[in-house]
Amino acid sequence: MNKKREIIILTIMCFVLSIAIAVQFRTVHYNGTTIGSSQSESNLKAQVLKMKEKYEDEYKLLEELTKELENVRQNVAGRNGELKELEDKIKKDNLLLGNTNVKGQGVTITLNDGKPDLNLFLEDKDVLIHDFNVLLVVNELRNAGAEAISINDERVVNKTAISCDGNVIVVNGEKIGTPIIVSAIGSSARLTALDRPGGTLENIFRISGKIAELKKSNNVEIPKYTGVYSYKYAKTIE
Amino acid sequence: MKKGKNVMVVTISIVCFLLMMIVFMQFKVAKQTQETDIDTMQETELRQQLANWKTKYEETKEKTQEISNTLETYKKETSSDAKTKETLETELKTLEQALGKTDVEGEGLIISLREKKESELEENEYTTQIYANDLINIVNTLKDAGAEAISINDERIISTTDIVMVGDVDEEFNTLTIKINSKFIRTNEYEIKAIGNSSYLENSVFGKGGYITQIDGIVATAKKSNKVRINKYNGEIETKYIEEVN
Repeated sequence: MNKKREIIILTIMCFVLSIAIAVQFRTVHYNGTTIGSSQSESNLKAQVLKMKEKYEDEYKLLEELTKELENVRQNVAGRNGELKELEDKIKKDNLLLGNTNVKGQGVTITLNDGKPDLNLFLEDKDVLIHDFNVLLVVNELRNAGAEAISINDERVVNKTAISCDGNVIVVNGEKIGTPIIVSAIGSSARLTALDRPGGTLENIFRISGKIAELKKSNNVEIPKYTGVYSYKYAKTIE
Repeated sequence: MKKGKNVMVVTISIVCFLLMMIVFMQFKVAKQTQETDIDTMQETELRQQLANWKTKYEETKEKTQEISNTLETYKKETSSDAKTKETLETELKTLEQALGKTDVEGEGLIISLREKKESELEENEYTTQIYANDLINIVNTLKDAGAEAISINDERIISTTDIVMVGDVDEEFNTLTIKINSKFIRTNEYEIKAIGNSSYLENSVFGKGGYITQIDGIVATAKKSNKVRINKYNGEIETKYIEEVN
């Protein structure tokens, strides 16, 4: 009877042990992949840096060539009035597309996360600035006649998307941290309307404990778009 | 009999000891495995970054090539005004397409949105309205998925496009009207057209966690097409305040 019990206990022990060993093996196997991935990771890091450098060199070249093209175009267009007219249109379109640095009167809006206040039922998620909050500010600025907009020095153009990646906001593929500074050029009187009581800044930000401050300025500077316009799918038709 | 009991005690002690060691090892490995998760995340992020820079590099290189060619053409055509004019017009056309001032066609997606009728409502659903914010979000998502041209009810989305609601929010819903490019859209059915990779576009809006899955009371359908046509923006884009700086 005692021997039987002994056998049963030992069997159970052995069973538990073998399961533990099996688990152990699987985990060790899992770890094995880590070693592999950290190797490929440093390789990847090098690749990322290399690609970034390649892009930066190419962008520098693009800037030089653009400058040269402007000069050459200006020269050839000087030959007659019709050509000059076309050159002026090209210049205007480049201005509208955000291909130049611009300045003018307007506003700068500083957005920042607030502090949670449980007395007011404001939790973390309420007081943080979200991508769609910024999206709505951009929409309202356009409504108020903004002619150029930037978010932390990223020019907002037609194809600009505002999204999020974890806790950070992404504009033109670049990560943007707080404080978020949205600059806009246009009639500063009209743009200031966002700040009126019951207006956009109050409704989207202050009411939920976020921080939003608007400043009027006679000299807002907005940098040019650093991406390029390229089309793979859309073709102009006559 | 006594010997047997002794053997059993010793055996069990050894087994217990081994088990404890294994449990400790397990703890250590489990901790490392958690770190492994972060490592994989970093790798995904790195791959994403690599892809990002590569796309940017390729786009820039393409543009550099384009500009070099244009430069070459201008330099060659020093005597012919007609040819110079042609080159200027080609340059202008490219810029106008980017501005949304040309009709465009290409592969893309057509999204139809309408509000559900009372008879179509599912449990826990209420009749609702399509809001400006819904359209703003969908347009932004399409841009994120690489849309090259977008229109809503034939109103072209350009860099100055605003989508707002006009009317009193507290009154009956049907007093609220959406305005796009400062024009009233007098309907509550919307057709959003976008040109780009049709699968990317569809997944961005209709896929897991996409905007359409987050709103109730709305019927949304998508149709992929190889020939989506989007009309140009009809207004003039005026500027009064921006001034170029070098």
